[in-house]
Order: sequence, then structure tokens, then C-alpha cells
Amino acid sequence: MLKKICFAFFASCTCLYLQAQDIDLNQMLEEEQKKEEKDKIRYTEATFKSTRIINGHSVEVTQKGIMDFRIAHRFGTVNGGLYDLFGLDNASMRMSFDFGLTPRLMVGVGRSTFQKQYDVFFKYKLLRQSSGKRTMPVSLAVMSSAMVQTMKLTDTSRPNYFSSRMYYAHQVIVARKFSENTSIQLMPTLVHYNLVKLAGDPNDVIAIGIGGRQKISPRVSINAEYYYQVPGYKMPNTANSFSIGVDIETGGHVFQLHFTNSRGMTERTFISETAGKWSNGDILFGFNISRVFTLKKNRKK
Amino acid sequence: MYYVRWLMILWIVCSAFVQPLIYSSNNGLVIFRSEAPFELINASSKELKGALDLSKNNFAFRIRIRSFEGFNSPLQKEHFNENYMESEKFPEAVFNGKIIETIDYSKKGKYSIRAKGKLIIHGVEQERIIKSDLEVTEKGIRIISQFSVLLSDHAIPIPRVVKEKLANEINVSINAELYAK
Repeated sequence: MLKKICFAFFASCTCLYLQAQDIDLNQMLEEEQKKEEKDKIRYTEATFKSTRIINGHSVEVTQKGIMDFRIAHRFGTVNGGLYDLFGLDNASMRMSFDFGLTPRLMVGVGRSTFQKQYDVFFKYKLLRQSSGKRTMPVSLAVMSSAMVQTMKLTDTSRPNYFSSRMYYAHQVIVARKFSENTSIQLMPTLVHYNLVKLAGDPNDVIAIGIGGRQKISPRVSINAEYYYQVPGYKMPNTANSFSIGVDIETGGHVFQLHFTNSRGMTERTFISETAGKWSNGDILFGFNISRVFTLKKNRKK
Repeated sequence: MYYVRWLMILWIVCSAFVQPLIYSSNNGLVIFRSEAPFELINASSKELKGALDLSKNNFAFRIRIRSFEGFNSPLQKEHFNENYMESEKFPEAVFNGKIIETIDYSKKGKYSIRAKGKLIIHGVEQERIIKSDLEVTEKGIRIISQFSVLLSDHAIPIPRVVKEKLANEINVSINAELYAK
């Protein structure tokens, strides 16, 4: 009996010895790391490549100390045929400067040739999607813009106020990066008109947007965006805006090429004043080019 | 019964004795540098994890790719993680293996060593022998090393447009102090 116990002890002793010898340092470090990860907050980065999906804003904000110079073009409708070289004869553009003021806040100014508009906006990231110690399923940003059109007055016989030329748009952007390649966002939007053309037109247009991107390689993604105007708050005789395109990223540039049925590039002009319909072939080719400049150098310790 | 008690004591002593002597670190420093004709890129991390098993001369090092800071702009950091290192797919770089030389860890002093093992970056494994300095101090063991990593060895392509801004040969330096666990 005693011999048996003896043997058992020795056996377990050698077993333990072998086990101790075979400790895998790499695995040990990995487990340590996993434990630490749980105590850290990991924020999701790069839900979208750019601060715009196509026409509208994405949840991203320009990073702090960065200036983003953007040039956007929309050509004419492709159903113009060869006579207009499938729309290339007519181009409208928007030029803008966006600035990242803090890691969460960006502001921008822009000028569009379409209806000679100026626009200013700010976007603030309220929530950041995260995992680890604090789990936040979505990122959330708010965006407000003010637009003014500066076309010559058509009717000088009535009193005209500057405020009559102003429009406002307010957006809440809720986005989630589902995987490395797939991100989807929803953007409920309110567009306010100080003055509308007809008495029956609504001063407030409510729309719900949905946008997304699917990466097909680390530097290329396919983007799509749709704004649905809520019936009752819809501008009469307009279509909903739908756009689809690709993002190509090279160093400090992002090129966005797309097809859309909207000619305007400000919230008012594409959400509530899109005239063309995809079913009629009122499709416009367009592109956005974004070039970032570092204004404030990262100070190294 | 007396023997049993005696054996138990032996067992405890024995298990204490075979416990391998492991030195480890949680906050080693890694710096990397890319010197291309048009751009100089520097980044560093203080999250290098390392472990050394004195009894077997084994070692393992590990670094979280997203922990690198520095760079010339936040966008560059984003591209580093998103496009080059693909940090979501390959969150860590690992180097583990064995020190070729036998070292008397009981004697203080500097030793020039060769560490042989598997270097895994961007999910691609390379067999490497890396020269390092190992110093046994009063408190622990310091490891200092400088070596280079070729992006082409680890399947990290350089797009033509940034060819003049990103070097294929990346200089890496490491400084870690390991303490007894």
C-alpha cells in the first residue's frame, strides 16, 4: 500500500516537472495580453475612408490639425447622349476647405457653382464605437450646415431679405463598423427652408438617409448612399437621391468616383431638390478629390 | 504514514525547484524608422512584452501593432494600421526562439548574444538570427538590440505612388528590461 502511494507521488512529481519545463513563453505573453486588453478601451478607427460617403457626410471627422481641401465635380446627365458627350459637357463643382479643430470637432466652408451657393458646417463626434473595457456599439455624430444661394434676384418688385436666401440642414449620423470591410450608417436629416417657392411647399423637409461601404481591398471600397424623403415632409416634384461609387485611397489623397441622380452637393440641393430619376436615365457621373495637409506637426517627445 | 509526510515535503521542495526561472517585461520600448528619399517616418511603442526562461535559454517577445505612436500625421498612422500592417487581421508582431550562446546568468555583465527564432510580422513568418546585447544587472536583465526588417520579407507591398516616401528596409531598435517573475 505504502509503495503504491510512493509511486503515485513520484509519478505526479515527474509529471509536474515535465509540465513546468514545457511552459510556452509565447502563450504566457498572449494570455497576459488578453487580460490587459479587457481593461483597455479600444476605439474603432476608420469607419469610412473619408468624411463624405458620396454627397452626404459620413460619421468621420477630419483629424485634429489637418486641413482637407476637397474638389467635387458633377457632370451632366448621361442620357444627354453623345451630343453632350454623356454629360461631360456640363460640369458643376464644389470647392471646400475642411479643418479638424479637435479630435472630435471639424468645421468647413464651401462654395458651389450650382446656384452660386456658399455653405458652412460643423460636425461633432459625440460617441465613438469601442470595445474592451467600455463597449459602445455605434459611433454618433451631429452635423449642422447653413447654406446661402447668391443668384441674382428674379423678382425685384417684392421685398427681398437676405434671410430668404438661407437654408439649414441638421443631421444625426449613427454608424457602425460591422467588420473590417463593412460599415453602415443611418442619418435622419432635417432641411429647413426660410422661404419656399410655393405656398404649399413645406418649409421643413425630413429625410432618412442610409449609407454604407464595402471594402474590396485595403485601399478600395464601394460606397452607396440613399436619402428617403418622408411623405408629408417631402418637397413636391423631387426624387430621392441615390448614389453609388468607389473610393480609392493613395497616400494623402482619396478619390471618389460615382454615379448619382443629384446635381447639387449641399444638403439642401441633393436631399430635397434632386430632380432626376435613375429610372429615366438622369444619372450624373461625378468625382470628389480630397487632399489632406498637416497644419500642425505632431510634436515628438 | 511517516513516509507519506516525508514524501509530501519532498514533493513540495521538488516542485519549487523545477519552477522555471522566468524573467519578463511589460513595457519594453520598440522604435522603428523608415528612411526614404522624400520622407522620414518614426514611430515607437512602450508596450513590448518579453519573457526569458533562464533554465532553457528560451525567449518570446510580443508587440501590439496598434500601440505604435508617432508618425508624421494621424492619417499616416491610420494608413499604417489599415493598409500596410492590417492590424485588425494581424494585431501583433511576435519573435520567439532560443538564445544560441549559453550564459551564466549568475554573473553580472554584458554579453553579446545571438537570438535565433521565428519573427512573425503581418502574419508572415521568417526564421531570423538577431544579434543583441544582454546585460545581467542587479535588478534584472536588460536587452538592447538593433536590426532591420524588410517589408518585402513580410508581404507588405509598397504602392508605386509612395515608393519615394517609404523605405523597404525598416530599422528597428529594442530596449527592454526584464525582471524576475
